[in-house]
Order: sequence, then structure tokens, then C-alpha cells
Amino acid sequence: MIEVNNLRKVYNTGAAAVEALKGITLSIKQGEFVAIMGPSGSGKSTLMNVLGLLDTPTAGSYRLDNEEVSGLSKDRLAVLRNKKLGFVFQAFNLIPGLTAVKNVELPMLYAGLKPDERRRKAVAALERVGLGERLNHRPNELSGGQNQRVAIARAIVNNPAVIMADEPTGALDTRTGEEIMAIFQQLHREGATIVLVTHEPEIARHAQRILRFKDGLLISDETVENPISVAGKEVVG
Amino acid sequence: MNLKEFILVALEGVRNNKLRSFLTTLGIVIGIAAVIAVIAIGQGGQAMIISELEAFGSNIFQIYPDYKEGEYTNPRDFTKEDITIIKKLSPEVKYLAPMKFTRGEIRSAVGKKNARIIATTADYEQIRNVEILRGRFFNAEDDAVGRRVIVLDEELANEIFGSENPVGQRVMIEGRDPALVIGVIKKRESQLPGMQPDRRAYIPISFLEGGNQWQYVHVLIGSAAGKDVVYKAMERTKLILERRHNAPGHYASYSMEQEMEAVNKVTGIMRLIISCIAGISLLVGGIGVMNIMLVSVTERTREIGIRMALGAKRKDILMQFLIEAVVLCSIGGITGILLGYGGAMIVSHFLKLPPLVSWWTALGAFLFSAVIGVFFGIYPANKASKLDPIVALRRE
Ligand SMILES: Nc1ncnc2c1ncn2[C@@H]1O[C@H](COP(=O)(O)OP(=O)(O)OP(=O)(O)O)[C@@H](O)[C@H]1O
Ligand SMILES: [Mg+2]
Repeated sequence: MIEVNNLRKVYNTGAAAVEALKGITLSIKQGEFVAIMGPSGSGKSTLMNVLGLLDTPTAGSYRLDNEEVSGLSKDRLAVLRNKKLGFVFQAFNLIPGLTAVKNVELPMLYAGLKPDERRRKAVAALERVGLGERLNHRPNELSGGQNQRVAIARAIVNNPAVIMADEPTGALDTRTGEEIMAIFQQLHREGATIVLVTHEPEIARHAQRILRFKDGLLISDETVENPISVAGKEVVG
Repeated sequence: MNLKEFILVALEGVRNNKLRSFLTTLGIVIGIAAVIAVIAIGQGGQAMIISELEAFGSNIFQIYPDYKEGEYTNPRDFTKEDITIIKKLSPEVKYLAPMKFTRGEIRSAVGKKNARIIATTADYEQIRNVEILRGRFFNAEDDAVGRRVIVLDEELANEIFGSENPVGQRVMIEGRDPALVIGVIKKRESQLPGMQPDRRAYIPISFLEGGNQWQYVHVLIGSAAGKDVVYKAMERTKLILERRHNAPGHYASYSMEQEMEAVNKVTGIMRLIISCIAGISLLVGGIGVMNIMLVSVTERTREIGIRMALGAKRKDILMQFLIEAVVLCSIGGITGILLGYGGAMIVSHFLKLPPLVSWWTALGAFLFSAVIGVFFGIYPANKASKLDPIVALRRE
């Protein structure tokens, strides 16, 4: 699903160049649930942005779903983000003026779906994350956990090949974080490919595989023997 | 995304920023409202003046001796033969009548009233498009024999006869012979403020002059055979008069066409000046829209980043902001049209003019405001669409 070879990213910020990724090689298969860990500044977000086609690498190759993506046009990248990727951010990144259902409709708006189909799928996605009752609430009328669920609904609504989550529980308390992880595990059980960045070992151990980063380098790649399993039923319904 | 969806997204944006949207469009609203109000009042006034002039009769012209100071000489006055010969020699002149004005009290058995008395001939009925209410206007035979008949305007008839039918009754004309009322005609109400034509009575000029030897007739009123021969008719008439009276260059003419041209010219200049002012105010309004759209793009950078992350292409973002600007300006335009028309109605209520806004003026104003939106929206929209998704997302 994801194949990265000797990926480099250098930020040129006036004074000094920062090498955030110093040659990363890794691959993630379809259906995997991968956690990325590492200290602050180790390049986790940089990698996620490159994998998420939001940022372009300085060097190296990146194949997403068997397609080499370096050198693609901006519009082509937009189409790939739309069709193949779903994002969940630490800061939720919902559009404040739009209701939950309108926020979830956005990726389908850009995919060119008809309004009634968009609405139907958005409602279904919100129901999947347990927010069937909050369709017409705006982000400021929802709790952090609920907002993150709206964001997850938005990430999954186009059936993406990979879900990218950069510290999705970072802004939430432990209990709410657990609920969010239950949703990710449920999605994983249903066959989704998930890449998740986290600081917290507890959260990371919900995944099957942990990649550790340090100073822009991948330093370890381990399989989680006994992933913490949250009974998703009560949250996911 | 199709246009309808872009408009819906733009409307969401407008709704989410109500106060700002209102302030943004204010410049456009005021500009368009001013244009519409001025056009409404101007067109209403112009239409009224023109209808006033047209009611006077179409293809009308007047001829009079052009006396320089102190050089009055009798021989230039008009005679009955002048009219006969002009009508015979110039096919462009369809009707031609003398006019001589006097004043006097007209008295019936029931009442009396001072009136303006116009002595003329039967042609006058056609020239001025006289509308008969009762009886008839005097005819060629009345002219020929100098019959003592009189035609009253309806107001005068009401005042001196009350509810009685004046036709067939006798009236005394102050200082003259009694006359038989043969008709009542409709009075032409002037719609122009402050113009109240006085009561009028009409008598054959042969009655006034006691025969066919007229004295002191200084006005000829005529009607040309067509709109395009008015000038020719006037020139020909003057030429014949100059020859007959041996007075080259001593006759002047005046036509309704000239009058209308003058009106059109004045209103044209007025409109030009107002268009300039409106143009400036709309330019300022447009710059205001651009300014706010730029602020909006900066403020909504994160939203733009989110939309790009979710798959919005360059074109999608460009269209979103462009259409938002157009929608803003169009809303401003519509509001301005309504406001301007309302203002025009109030103003014209006090001036007693009918406000007039043709549908194409309203449509033009609307389209123009939309064009302002495109023109001043393109730069901010382009700026928004060129953002880098990751840069936009990182912006707080
Ligand atoms: N836009 C940028 N311009 C310049 N340097 C940057 C930029 N973004 C990140 N960096 C630098 O690249 C390095 C990696 O940053 P990155 O955000 O990927 O770290 P991270 O692992 O996500 O850290 P955290 O856990 O704190 O989120 C850091 O040294 C950071 O200062
Ligand atoms: Mg980070």
C-alpha cells in the first residue's frame, strides 16, 4: 500500500537547513494498523505530511497504492488525497461554520457526488462513529471527542486506501482517547489501513506494529505481540 | 462541483460572516442605490417632459416674425393669404393655423369667468390633437363666414355653466358680440409641477377680426406631414413668408423636435455626470470588496488548507472565493436596486414625478455589480488558490 524508499526532507528556513527526514525506507501493507512513535522533533509529522501528499519530499521515492507520486501535478495530488487518503489531525481541523454533516460531506463534494448521495453517506459515516444524533451541530457545539469523531467520519467517508492520523488523541483526555482508539480498532477490523502518530505508548500498543523515529531516522520496526483490544461495540454501536 | 454548488458554498460563507458581509457590500449597495435612484428620477422626469411635449401635438412647429429691437413693422404680420399659399406650395405642411391671443371675461346666464381666448382656424383642431368632449370644434365654413361661435375647455365650461350642457347656449364675451357655444374640449392637464394652464376658450379668427383682414397675427402654428419633414416644412414656410413680405431673414421657427432634443441633451449630460459619480462610488465599493476578500482569505487560510487536504483542487478554491465575491456583490446589487427604487419613490412622491426604472436598468445594475465581484474578487481568489496545502494547514 505504502512503499517509501530513501525518503529525505530538508526544510530551508533562512538561517540553517533542517534535515527532518534523513533517508527513510519502509513499507506498509494493506490492512495494517501502524503506530509511529518518537520524541518531539524526530520527523513524525513531516513523514505523515509527505505520506499524506500534503508536502513533497526533497528526495526519494514514494509509491502509494502502486503509483509513484513524486512529480505529480498539484491537481493530481488533490485527486489522490481525495480518493485514497483520509486525514485525522490532532486539532480536528473541522470547518467551524459548517455542521457535522456538512463537514463530513466535504470530501464527497470535491469527489463530485450528488447532494443526496453525499448526505446519505455522511449520515451513515457519522452513525458509524456514534454521532447519529449530532448531525446538525457545529464544531463549537460539540466536545473534543465528538469533534474528533466527526473528523474520523470525514476521513472514512470516501473509503480511503489509508487513514492518516497525526496524534488524534493528543488533544483529548485518556478516556476519550480510548474511545477514539476503539473506533480505529473497529475500522481496522473492518479492513482499513491505518497509520497513526502518537507520543503515548499506551495508545501505540493498540496498533499491530510500531515504528520508532529519532532525529529523522527510522530506528526500530517492531510487531506488537498482544495489541490492547478495546471492545468497540459500546462506542461504535 | 457545479455552479449551483459553488453558489451554495459561497452563500454558506456569507451566512457565516453576516456582519462582515453586510459591511463589505455596503459600498456596492450605496453605489448601486444612488445610480438606480438617480436614473429612476431622471427617467421619470424625462418621460414626463417628453409626454408633455408630445401631448402638445406631434410634428408641430411654430413660425413667428423675428423682430430686432425697435424694428417692428406691420408688413411682416401674417395674413390669411400667407396661409393659403403656404399650404398650396409646400406639401410638407399638412396643417397651418394662425394664433392670436386675447383675454376677457366670458359670461353665461349661470356664471362668469376670466379666460384666455385663442383666435385661430379649424386647422388648429388637427394640429393640437384636440379632444372633443361635447359638440364640435369650428370648421372651415365657420372660418369662412366668421361665424360667432366659441369652444370652451371643460374647466371653463364647468365654471360658467355648472352642470348644464353648454353646447347650444349663448355666452357674452367681454367687449365683443355674444357667441354660440358649439363645443367643449378636454383640457390638457400639465403634469409638470407648478404648470397650471389657465382656462381657455377658442373662437374663429375671422370672428375676432370681423372678417378676413387680420391684424397683428404673430404666430403661425403648423403640423408637418411627417416627423422627418418638420425641418423642411419650417424652412419652406419661412422662405415663402420672406418672399411674400420681402423680409429675408426676418422669420424664426421653433419645433417640438428641437425642444425634445434639448431635453434629451440636458438629461444626457446629467446622466453622464451621475454615471461618473456612480462609477467612482462603485470603484470604491469594489476596492472595499477586494480588501475584505483579501482579509477573508488570510483569515480562512486554515479552512483553505483543510479543503485542499480533503481534495479541493486549485480551481475549486479559486471558484469558491470568486463566487463568494460575486455573490456578495450581487446581494449588494439587489439590495441597492431595491433601496434606490425605494428612495426614488420617496423623492418622486414629493416632487410629484413618476419614478421609472426600466427592467434593463435593473438588470444592468445587477450584472454590473456581479462584474465588479468578478473583477475585484479574482485577485484574492487567485491568491487563495495558490496556497500550499501544508502551509495553509499549519497557519493558526
Ligand atoms: N515548516 C517547517 N519549517 C522548518 N522546519 C520545520 C518545519 N516543520 C518541521 N520542521 C522541523 O523539522 C523537524 C521535525 O519536525 P516534525 O514536526 O516532523 O516533528 P514531530 O516528530 O512531529 O514532533 P512533535 O512530536 O513535536 O510533533 C523539527 O526539527 C522541526 O523543527
Ligand atoms: Mg508532530
